[in-house]
Amino acid sequence: MNGPPKVDHPGTAEDDGGLDPREAAALIEETARQARRQFQPHAPYVAVLGAGVFLFGYGAVWWSIRNQHPYTTGPAGWSIALLYGLIIASAIASSRLLTRPTAGVGGRARRQLRGLAVAVWAAGVGAWTFQGALRYLGVSFEIVYGVYGPTVPLIALCAAAAGFAAAREDWLHLCVTVAIIAVAAGSTFFGPWGAWGLTGLGCCLVLLGYAAALSIRLRKA
Amino acid sequence: MTAEPLEPLDPVIHATTRLRIMVTLAALNDGDTLSFTRLQDILDLTPGNLITHLRKLEDAGYIHTAKTGAGTASQTSVTLTLRGRAALDSYTQALRKLLSGL
Repeated sequence: MNGPPKVDHPGTAEDDGGLDPREAAALIEETARQARRQFQPHAPYVAVLGAGVFLFGYGAVWWSIRNQHPYTTGPAGWSIALLYGLIIASAIASSRLLTRPTAGVGGRARRQLRGLAVAVWAAGVGAWTFQGALRYLGVSFEIVYGVYGPTVPLIALCAAAAGFAAAREDWLHLCVTVAIIAVAAGSTFFGPWGAWGLTGLGCCLVLLGYAAALSIRLRKA
Repeated sequence: MTAEPLEPLDPVIHATTRLRIMVTLAALNDGDTLSFTRLQDILDLTPGNLITHLRKLEDAGYIHTAKTGAGTASQTSVTLTLRGRAALDSYTQALRKLLSGL
């Protein structure tokens, strides 16, 4: 790793009154770059993982239902298993990528993340409870699992994340969450085929664009 | 017209290790804290060396340290104060002026 020069003098506290101004300027630049690398979550990789889940997970379900007219049996077991397997794997990998840079960081950032976790949890639980209620009240299998399932919980989770992004004035993140909401909401007009296929493809493209924008931003920093 | 006199560089910040500590803490958002062990890990310093420099910065009011817990579970966190952030800004401005005059 090309970090700043080691200045480890055990037990001493050097007072570099003779630190050259040019050296000081270079040290500031290098240390700031190193700190940004240390604290910046590996968000581009997380976005690519999410894109993979949408492309292959949602894609698999779309593949298994593409010829169902009318929607009778629902998605194949293997496609649901693949979708949930990908979601779990990407959630584990993402949490590792996101928590490593914030290790040891506390205060306001930690409180904000706890707030986001509560908001996302409430949005998810609310959306899935409502889905259960719809089925209980006799709404068709096609609507409850074919249209609502792949879109509304996603919209709810993204709405919570959008609020968090707006509060932090993270406009890029806000644009991404709003774009996902728009894709998911729009795809519901096309029934189960659109809800799985168009949401999967659209969200994959949005997240790949987000990953590219983040990479460019990180390179410029 | 007379040239503006150059501001002297803050001697508390103008030392390699303390400058690195200040810049690292400034990379966090206002109000965020960093654990002593993470800061030590990032800067690759010995605990004794880091403590000595942190004490100097704390005496100047540039950082604030807080200890939570007791015994082996205790943890020290470090945060840049508003005064510290302002001092680092003044330092970088003074450095910029100095370099532009060279």
